[in-house]
Amino acid sequence: MSPLVYHALVGFVVLNAVIGMVTYVTLLERKFAARMQSRIGPYYVGWPHGWLQPIADALKLMMKEDIVPRAADRWVYNLAPLAFLVPCILVFATIPFAPGLGVADLNIGVLFFLAVSALEIVGLFMGGWGSNNKYALLSAMRAVNQIISYDLPFIFAALVPVVLAGSLQLSVIVEAQRAMYGAFVFYPVLGQLAFVAFLVATLAAENRVPFDILEAESELVAGFRVEYSGMKFALIQLGEYAHMIATSFLGALLFLGGWLGPGPAWMGPVWFLLKAVVVFLVVTWVRWSFVRIRVDQILAISWKLLLPATLVLLMATALVVALRSTGGA
Amino acid sequence: MTAEAVAFVGVAVVLLGSSLAVVLTPNLFHSILYLAVALVATGVVFLLLDAPFLFGVQLLLYAGGVVTIVVFAIMLTERLVGRTIRQASRYLINGALLSVAVFAGVAGFLVQAPLAGARPGVSGDLTLAVGRALVGAFAVPLELLGVLLVIALLGALYFARSEP
Repeated sequence: MSPLVYHALVGFVVLNAVIGMVTYVTLLERKFAARMQSRIGPYYVGWPHGWLQPIADALKLMMKEDIVPRAADRWVYNLAPLAFLVPCILVFATIPFAPGLGVADLNIGVLFFLAVSALEIVGLFMGGWGSNNKYALLSAMRAVNQIISYDLPFIFAALVPVVLAGSLQLSVIVEAQRAMYGAFVFYPVLGQLAFVAFLVATLAAENRVPFDILEAESELVAGFRVEYSGMKFALIQLGEYAHMIATSFLGALLFLGGWLGPGPAWMGPVWFLLKAVVVFLVVTWVRWSFVRIRVDQILAISWKLLLPATLVLLMATALVVALRSTGGA
Repeated sequence: MTAEAVAFVGVAVVLLGSSLAVVLTPNLFHSILYLAVALVATGVVFLLLDAPFLFGVQLLLYAGGVVTIVVFAIMLTERLVGRTIRQASRYLINGALLSVAVFAGVAGFLVQAPLAGARPGVSGDLTLAVGRALVGAFAVPLELLGVLLVIALLGALYFARSEP
């Protein structure tokens, strides 16, 4: 088998696995949220516990009418879901599920992840602008506002494990955590603080409650995707959930030791998925426990608290690593 | 033609086309979108030159960051204020002449320069080498750039202060 065919095949498998996972993560989230609110959640479509619900939802979205507003900027409006989805899916290319198991274990892995997911805002903006709808536009404005504010803390928090491991390659970062009881989150002080900062910035980057002002239902209907229907809406939802899962994967790789864990080697991917699900559920837990905060509070948290804190944290980590490598500490 | 040359021609066409579109589209918003395409294509050129680190930085800082900020600036001026700003490219002929002249000059230098051999192969971890260079041989220029950015930031603060 030529390497080209092999890589195409691996990419195809990972792509479909991701889409399947995204579909079922929606069910997981609905069930989890329902439990938190003493409900049952989806139950009747498929036995037991409505396990066919995501498939029913997908079929429903495929059969819906595709509406393009007459005043929309047609090209921009139609391309926006794709421009939004592609970066969200592309980041999975660099995620290793186990040693040697992944599409491409780039030596700039973390940088690739951060850079490509920064492109997502372009698609979001195209949707908000192209719809020619004031709610969508306001939502896109808020999104830009929020993403400018939270990109830097997110990057700084993600760089703490990078500095500790001395590499941008995700597999090297995971292997470096062997020395730290299998997870950088156990690193005294630095690890825990960085993980908390990472989680907060993740909430903001994923536009989840309490940072979901850009799709605040009570003021902006559904935010930047208010005009989208049918499959285009489904693509945007897919992109959003794919981004969520990708960030959970990143958190599991950077802070929780990825595939490291007790048991034989084949357990690696299982451990990795479990850790990613834990990160995802923590984020979901916060989502269903807190209320939305105001725009000025969101900006204040980022610029006055999170950004200086992560900057100091990063510099402290660099200092610790420098002292350790020269044998000073 | 090698695969690398084919890829370069493809990227070059996209880069030139989108760059022309940036200055020729009347719609300011479309112009920004073409700018995003042009910046990503520039990143791909870095990738073709075996510089994946620069590719990542280009995407993160320019395609992601700068486009965001430019779009933000448009939002504050255009639809929300109610005044539509069209981009009108005046002096098209002068601009075209100037760019042809610059191209001729650069091409002249390149033609006169001795033909370089094949690009030297990559050895070792380039990302590591870039990082070491930035804190080693190039530490002073890096710090100077940092000072320059701080000055720019202070200047922006000065202009943005509220008048008494």
